[in-house]
Amino acid sequence: MTDDNFEPKIIGFLCNWCSYTGADLAGVSRIQYPSNIRIIKVMCSGRVNPQFVLKAFQEGADGVLVSGCHPGDCHYIEGNYHARRKLTMLSDILEFTGIEPERFQMSWVSASEGKKFAEIVTAFTEQVKELGPQKKLAGGEK
Amino acid sequence: MVDYNAMTLDIRAKAKAMLENKEVKYIIGWERGANSFISRPVIIRDAGDTDRLVWNPGCVDNLTRYLVEEMQYKPKRGEEPDLSPVGIIVKPCDSKSIVELIKENIVPRERVKIIAVTNIGTVETNKLRKILQKIPQDKRAGIDILQDDNEFTIKYEGGELKVPRPELLANKCETCVTHNPVIHDVVIGDKIEGFEKDEWADVAELENMSPEERWKFWEAQISKCVRCYACRDSCSLCYCAECVFDKEKPFTWIDKTVDVSNNMFYHLVRAMHLAGRCVDCGECERVCPVNIPIRKLNRLLLKSAKDRYRIYPGMNPEDKPMFGSYDIADPDEVV
Repeated sequence: MTDDNFEPKIIGFLCNWCSYTGADLAGVSRIQYPSNIRIIKVMCSGRVNPQFVLKAFQEGADGVLVSGCHPGDCHYIEGNYHARRKLTMLSDILEFTGIEPERFQMSWVSASEGKKFAEIVTAFTEQVKELGPQKKLAGGEK
Repeated sequence: MVDYNAMTLDIRAKAKAMLENKEVKYIIGWERGANSFISRPVIIRDAGDTDRLVWNPGCVDNLTRYLVEEMQYKPKRGEEPDLSPVGIIVKPCDSKSIVELIKENIVPRERVKIIAVTNIGTVETNKLRKILQKIPQDKRAGIDILQDDNEFTIKYEGGELKVPRPELLANKCETCVTHNPVIHDVVIGDKIEGFEKDEWADVAELENMSPEERWKFWEAQISKCVRCYACRDSCSLCYCAECVFDKEKPFTWIDKTVDVSNNMFYHLVRAMHLAGRCVDCGECERVCPVNIPIRKLNRLLLKSAKDRYRIYPGMNPEDKPMFGSYDIADPDEVV
């Protein structure tokens, strides 16, 4: 596969209450965004275990996006604050081991920010496309 | 010069008194090992046996793992649970493990009597093996290792060998800033001051590399891993009843295959599980049969936690756990 037509696989963990609804709004409003993202709905961004992100990379994902409610807006009051600590630390250790931290992104998208969601996915897809396929953590034939 | 002999006698006296007064049911400590210079763990139940206890720079084990096993012991059917306290001898680094275990409600404070020693450093077993080559084989039986601020002295039958401190000092002690116990019932030895060090020198060394160099470094190290899980089994904070890597239902998180992908997954997840909890006692690196610098991963997270959240585990049982708490004002690098 040449770099020109490389289409990255991106896994998106979106929280049920804000980001998933935001993505829904983007769809309903017919806002265009790349189809590279495969969305997995979780009840809260605090549910996203760093293992999920690493497992996604291991299964061959080129990028992982975790999106939740804005700080203070969490449906479960504090889930996204916990997510922020956990995933920032994960980002640190990815950088430390030489795995591009640009492949992993967190974002806050509220239910009314369909446009912002589309922008984030577009920018992130471009970013991952430039990095090329993720081979460092990807396992053998899967 | 640290007087290891006096400290050993002090430990024995304190241990004897504890056992005689029935303050503890047994004492976990170190005794002289079969090869005489590396001490091995021992459990003393009888006051008459306390003379077996020793303290020297070869006391490398973190004994708190035995404490965890005791606390998690499930009595057999019909057996009365014995909840009387346990005595344990700890180095300052190990005392941080106990703080963390108390914080996580694994060890109730009243169930442990802590005899803590002050320590300027222990030996690295790998380095010691090389240095012992210089001593004739038949004279290695009665080796004693002593230490002062600048050098180790290895005393053997009919001679002694002086070794500069960095050549024998354990890696973890090179960056250690905790030379006095943080929690204790009894302290053995004088308070140690004046060991100022660059705590993060080893982490900074890697951080200054380019991302590609870092990956090359870790790929080479991690591909050595045989996944014996010794780092997990020796860790006093890896006490989950069922470890995520052993879990087989509903699916396995990690393949049995030993390759960079699976090994990296294991080491990153292990480090993440210890983030904000690891007290850098160095057991994981010490027991590694292929010498992977595992501690560096833990230390990076230790440094991040300190820089970002001002959290430094193992100092105070009243502190909040990093992943169990949050601060609205935490740095936010999220888009």
